[in-house]
Amino acid sequence: MATPLKAKVAAPRSNDNIVQGVKYNRSSSKRNNFEMVAWLFMRLSGVALVILIFGHLFVNLMTGEGVHRIDFGFVGGKLANPFWQVWDMLLLWLAMLHGTNGIRTIIDDYAQKDKTRAFLKVILFLASAFIILVGTLVIFTFDPCPTGAAAELLPSFCPAP
Amino acid sequence: MASQKATEELNEPASKVELKSEAGGADAIPTYDITLQVRRYSPEISEEAHWDEFKLTMFGTDRVLDALHKVKWEIDGSLSFRRSCAHGICGSDAMRINGRNRLACKTLLKDLDLTKPITVEAIKGLPCEKDLIVDMEPFFQAYREVMPFLMNDGHEPERERYQSVEDRERFDDTTKCILCAACTSSCPVFWTDGQYFGPAAIVNAHRFIFDSRDDAGDMRLEILNDKEGVWRCRTTFNCTEACPRGIQITKAIAEVKQAIIARSL
Amino acid sequence: MQVHKYDVVIIGAGGAGMRAAIESGQRARTAVLTKLYPTRSHTGAAQGGMCAALANVEEDNWEWHTFDTVKGGDYLVDQDAAEVMAKEAIDAVLDLEKMGLPFNRTPEGRIDQRRFGGHTRDHGKAPVRRACYAADRTGHMILQTLYQNCVKHNVEFFNEYYVLDLIMVEDEDGKKRPAGVVSYDLATGDVHVFQAKSIVFASGGCGKIFKTTSNAHTLTGDGMAIALRNGIPLEDMEFVQFHPTGLAGLGILVSEAARGEGGILRNSEGERFMERYAPTIKDLAPRDIVARSMANEVREGRGCGPNKDYVLLDLTHLEPAHIDAKLPDITEFARTYLGVEPYTEPVPVFPTAHYAMGGIPTNIEAEVYANSEETIPGLYAAGEVACVSVHGSNRLGTNSLLDINVFGKRAGISAAEYAQTADFLPIPEDAANRTLELLGMLRDGTGTEKVGAIRKELQDVMDTDMQVFRTADTIKNALNVIANLEERYKNISVQDKGKRFNLDLLEAVELGFLLELAKVMSVAALHRQESRGGHFREDFPNRDDEKFMKHSMVYLDPEAETESIAGLRFDTKPVIFTRYEPMERKY
Repeated sequence: MATPLKAKVAAPRSNDNIVQGVKYNRSSSKRNNFEMVAWLFMRLSGVALVILIFGHLFVNLMTGEGVHRIDFGFVGGKLANPFWQVWDMLLLWLAMLHGTNGIRTIIDDYAQKDKTRAFLKVILFLASAFIILVGTLVIFTFDPCPTGAAAELLPSFCPAP
Repeated sequence: MASQKATEELNEPASKVELKSEAGGADAIPTYDITLQVRRYSPEISEEAHWDEFKLTMFGTDRVLDALHKVKWEIDGSLSFRRSCAHGICGSDAMRINGRNRLACKTLLKDLDLTKPITVEAIKGLPCEKDLIVDMEPFFQAYREVMPFLMNDGHEPERERYQSVEDRERFDDTTKCILCAACTSSCPVFWTDGQYFGPAAIVNAHRFIFDSRDDAGDMRLEILNDKEGVWRCRTTFNCTEACPRGIQITKAIAEVKQAIIARSL
Repeated sequence: MQVHKYDVVIIGAGGAGMRAAIESGQRARTAVLTKLYPTRSHTGAAQGGMCAALANVEEDNWEWHTFDTVKGGDYLVDQDAAEVMAKEAIDAVLDLEKMGLPFNRTPEGRIDQRRFGGHTRDHGKAPVRRACYAADRTGHMILQTLYQNCVKHNVEFFNEYYVLDLIMVEDEDGKKRPAGVVSYDLATGDVHVFQAKSIVFASGGCGKIFKTTSNAHTLTGDGMAIALRNGIPLEDMEFVQFHPTGLAGLGILVSEAARGEGGILRNSEGERFMERYAPTIKDLAPRDIVARSMANEVREGRGCGPNKDYVLLDLTHLEPAHIDAKLPDITEFARTYLGVEPYTEPVPVFPTAHYAMGGIPTNIEAEVYANSEETIPGLYAAGEVACVSVHGSNRLGTNSLLDINVFGKRAGISAAEYAQTADFLPIPEDAANRTLELLGMLRDGTGTEKVGAIRKELQDVMDTDMQVFRTADTIKNALNVIANLEERYKNISVQDKGKRFNLDLLEAVELGFLLELAKVMSVAALHRQESRGGHFREDFPNRDDEKFMKHSMVYLDPEAETESIAGLRFDTKPVIFTRYEPMERKY
């Protein structure tokens, strides 16, 4: 596969092949690697998500007293830690992009008309973008020590009110 | 090399052997009654398709094609289907038999559940023209678009191009394709809008991409990197299951995917 | 009715048609009319190989190949044609390799070769490795490779266009010349006329005359019958090859390569009976001899199975890995269709009608003969439909794949070159009338006879009376039955009255072709009172060079009578000798 890409060879493409109103010519002039990158992303993000999710579950459910110690303070504490901020952000982004791309392919596979496809995809992308945006905002602007809260509910590092 | 071949002459087999009493001997061929349901469509008569049922007495060695012929030649001459060689080489008679894509000439009746009716309908995803006949043009269009022919811009040798036994073996599986469309029309992705290149086109691209004599693998990889190319494959293995030639189609598609990635890196 | 105009029209898209199209398509505006999608053609069913004296694995030369072809054809071969074929075989194989055909390779990377029936070293001394092959799928690979190259060269195909008539007009000298063809578009039921300067017949054989045959359902001799109906003679039609190893009862081909790779034939006593019939090359004797020997074993009560009606092909002494590498498809046929495992059990086989040596007479440039001397400018034929004659009275294994490539190429070049110098001939107003009448008669007929029933009776009688063993009595019986069936054919009707994909109608047309060809075949067989190659007369068991060393030519002629059959005229054409004198044929 090391040979450089050759200029266009006169490839046999019969004229537009339209059967019962459906156009069957596949070759488009614009080419890019988007589908390949998307395909690769699904595999790689899948592996990363397994690690991220099980790491998340292990820390939350298994270590220490396990599920019983999860409260506002525990979550607030984690979100104040830059390590867990990055972890949760990766989890959020990869999961959302992985899921969005999955639904995109399902739309491609099952929607029969180009218009339906475009419509569904616009909704999908808007929804995903919104969730990613809001989620990221929460992770980085979360205040673990809201003023006026009862001290026993807050993480230990919060200054005494 | 002539001497090397000559020395490995086959040992002469015995001129007389004891045959096992049942050697090759089939007993009298049994007969049985079957019910055949065929999905009929004839736009000259009605825009609606319908199912016709036929009760037939068939022999143990008969295939679905024989049953269809019995209907056409003895009961209803208007039943239309393509067929030619009748032994799984020409690829004319791919159809959906009991919901699975099969060649009618390679499907023995005795291998089907005969207590229930056998259903036969046209393959899916290609426009149905009449009864079991579909328009194959979209299928061949995809085939043509992958440039399924050897391109070699090197110096043309006087004798044959050399190719090692291993290099020849590399693409052997995909040379078996008979373009029957059983794979492509079994693919759920193809069913949606018929725009996916489909397994058969990819198999035929694979046959040249991995042929050491061919120089245009790159161009084919670029074509299959398209939106409608290999990345639409969801590895459902329907194609592999449907292939009457036993080609490992899903594996071939995966190899093309890997080649595209390797080429990009 | 639509009229199309092309320089060259090729009828048929099998090996010969596509090989011609590749040549012609690069030189002139070419259309290929085919009743099947090109890759459905029966070239794809050929298995064993394609012989050429490449000498890649052992000493060989094309002169030996010529001799084998001439001897194999029992000296009825036109030797100039055999020389051309054997000589050009080498380039034909190399051409295919350069087009991309994936041949099996030797350890050095060259095209591998194996043994095949009747192909020998130094004029019959021992079997030779001459057949170039791709497992047991050589025909499949040739068909795919040729189609791929047609795609590459943008050849124009008219798929599912049945050619039903040839348009012949008279030129200034009063000679008949081709002006075009009439075809039927299966999808719409419309009749299209194609005007052309050159026309190439490459429409294949007529094996469906017989019941037990390795041929496809679509091989109904259309090209031969159309030529016959247009005043062109058919040559050597009595010679039909029965392939020794068809799967018993089914006729599905088991390649000679099975024996080339070491398989042997046994009778019910487990005896390798070919040692008695051909002591030197045994199981690799030419097909006519092996087929006759098998039929004889069965006739003398040494057949196998409950009805003692077949013999066994034994591969059990071969390594399973070797079988898988060299014979994967045919072992699968045995498993699928007979439920026999070739690794451990012998495979039931019996002769099956395989190949018509005869056909439309041509010279080595593929030009069609109008009679025993003159050719028709602009009309060509190649492949099984033609009779060059390179196969004489019995074709050697692999020589058909050679024939289609060598003479297909020649036909394509000849047709294109002729088209560059010639003008279109005018198409008469009523050119398609005969076809329209025929179709109308069949479609609107109210008769009571059915296509399926008549065809079955024809095939049954041809299997009983015109197979491996023939006598005057059996042939006359066949002719009587055919005459009766022809009467019934006039009272035929089809059930499908529609226009779209009316295959019912086309089967009725094809049956008309089959009946006509069966009659020609039987008359020629009755006339040839000798045994030669594929034609064995029990009442005349010897070859008679004095009276019959000539090609038979049968014409359709309403005023004539041959062997008390009205409507046929019989003539002969001399055999061309160059260097081999006829000898007794022993192996």
